[in-house]
Amino acid sequence: MGVNDDNVPKGKGPLAGIAGRIGRSLSRMNEDMSDVESDESEISLKRRRFLIVAVAGALFCLFMFLISMSISSGGIIPISDALGSLMSAIGKGGQNLNTEELYIYHSRLPRAVAAVGVGAGLAVAGCIFQALIRNPLVDPYITGVSSGAGCFAVAVTSVGVAAIPFLSEHSTYIIPLGAILGGLIAFGITLTVSEGAGGSATNYILAGVIVGFAFSSIQTVFLAMNKDNLADVMWWLYGSFASITWENAFLVLVPAIGISILALMWAREFNLFMMGEDQASQLGLDVRRFKAVMMVVASVLTSVCVAFVGIIGFVGLVIPHACRMCLGGDHRLIMPASMILGACLMLFSDLIARVAMAPTEIPVGAITAMIGTPVFAYMLMRRGREYDG
Amino acid sequence: MMDEMLKIEGLRISFGDFEALHGIDLSLPKGKLIGLIGPNGCGKSTMMKCISKINKGWTGRIIIDGEDIGPMRPMDVAHRVANVPAEAGQTFGMSVMDMVMLGRYPFVNRVWWESREDERKVREALKAFGLDHYRRKQVSLLSSGEKQRALIAKAYVQEPKVMLVDEPTSHLDMKYKLNVMEYLKRMSRGDMTVLVAEHDISLMARYCDLCIIMKKGQVVGYGDPKTVVTEELIRDVYEVDARIGLDADGEIYVLPKTAIGD
Repeated sequence: MGVNDDNVPKGKGPLAGIAGRIGRSLSRMNEDMSDVESDESEISLKRRRFLIVAVAGALFCLFMFLISMSISSGGIIPISDALGSLMSAIGKGGQNLNTEELYIYHSRLPRAVAAVGVGAGLAVAGCIFQALIRNPLVDPYITGVSSGAGCFAVAVTSVGVAAIPFLSEHSTYIIPLGAILGGLIAFGITLTVSEGAGGSATNYILAGVIVGFAFSSIQTVFLAMNKDNLADVMWWLYGSFASITWENAFLVLVPAIGISILALMWAREFNLFMMGEDQASQLGLDVRRFKAVMMVVASVLTSVCVAFVGIIGFVGLVIPHACRMCLGGDHRLIMPASMILGACLMLFSDLIARVAMAPTEIPVGAITAMIGTPVFAYMLMRRGREYDG
Repeated sequence: MMDEMLKIEGLRISFGDFEALHGIDLSLPKGKLIGLIGPNGCGKSTMMKCISKINKGWTGRIIIDGEDIGPMRPMDVAHRVANVPAEAGQTFGMSVMDMVMLGRYPFVNRVWWESREDERKVREALKAFGLDHYRRKQVSLLSSGEKQRALIAKAYVQEPKVMLVDEPTSHLDMKYKLNVMEYLKRMSRGDMTVLVAEHDISLMARYCDLCIIMKKGQVVGYGDPKTVVTEELIRDVYEVDARIGLDADGEIYVLPKTAIGD
């Protein structure tokens, strides 16, 4: 985290000690490849690991959140000052703010809130799809949601629906609503085609890919026809938190986190799916219904995430793998860890997106991959031999 | 029959126009290891998948220990039947303990963490199958024989009345083949009925109490392997000329000689 090295108090002494212990405890499971002699309860161990993931993860996320509050293109303020301004701005209810409070309350805070929701939501959606389809290359966009959403976002912009009287009053919602509608339509077509073909994992992937191609090509036609007034939609196609306001920050955060936590309740069922559909079925799960319901849940989650901020890649594909490499194959650990790591990566990426080349905003999707790729490549080289995900 | 565990009556299933099972009738006793043999595509796996209700849409009746499983919910079937697949497949970083613990799923439904009791049962099974010291190892890093044992341990902790094992030794060398069959034999000593589909007829004849022979979706032989497995039957079912003999210990061996036709 080169940006804040000089200004943020670093973890020294006891903090570093705790961090070291947490790290060792988390990596113990997969380090222990050889014989285990201890008779410690595996369930207690797992519960403890879950608590560590949840508590340490939440604290780290909070830390990233505060860093994101304290850094802007104008400079860096101490975290304590940022926290003070944040508290006083919230205390004042957004009225009569001073300059710093104004920036934090109306710009950085809603962006960070949305980033937490989108990062967590995309990572959990990735976890769900990878488990249901049992394919490591699957990401939240596998069912064509992103292409459908992108196509409709471009379409509503280029056909000028903003001129319609009622819609012009709510013009900020035109792209998000179009995107949600398009995403769900694309998903509906994918679901119909793949279930019609028998509903196997391969059918889902193939149906998703062809539906994705179809919507992308329609989107290309719209883009070619309306080269001039597409500035509005370009930011969306590459992903950005720049236009996030308070109203839509919560429209992203609440459903994204709510659906993610809801999906966590079925973590054990996702574990069953790792053995294949036949095994899940013979262990007593109604596989067809579970898969259909979870496909809808994950697609809605993805649509919510892309609606306001656009298509952000990488997070949904790679975060679940990173968590699996560190924590093993149990979704009771992987899913909460993915939520937290996804949120942290998104917070950090958005921070870079808004300050690195200020006043120019960099699309956040480019940053997630730029930061994530080297980290993931390193993990892959260290753990890839043992990892069959 | 007093000690009947599994009764199948008129079991039929079709996939499109193709009828894979043409009315199977069988009665399997409690506490026996029963071999299921027949050529590829004769319906062995299909029948097993019907018994565990992985395959749906079959007609007829399947009765386990006096209870018709037809109207049962999947969870209730899971309390009675366990299915051991031929391979673990891709396991996404799952540990041996994680995988065997999945066998407890039908008992801890709607609870996030398994209980101490579940853990005790899983640890006992891991010890019985010689896997306890590997419990934190990833399944993908086990040898084929160990993987197969882990899959059987998973089915064992499901505490089924009927265990269905699909080609457990197809990827194993001679030592592990015998090893796996020994475990299956040991499990069938209680009340549990173990039904195992296999291609190695000598191995089946040696370990199984009873043998079912299938051909083109029908049962063509059922009984003591020493009387059921004959050269005529092998010729009829497998289209292979085979020599069948007894070794010095009185065990059957089957030696395939030439394929008929083609």
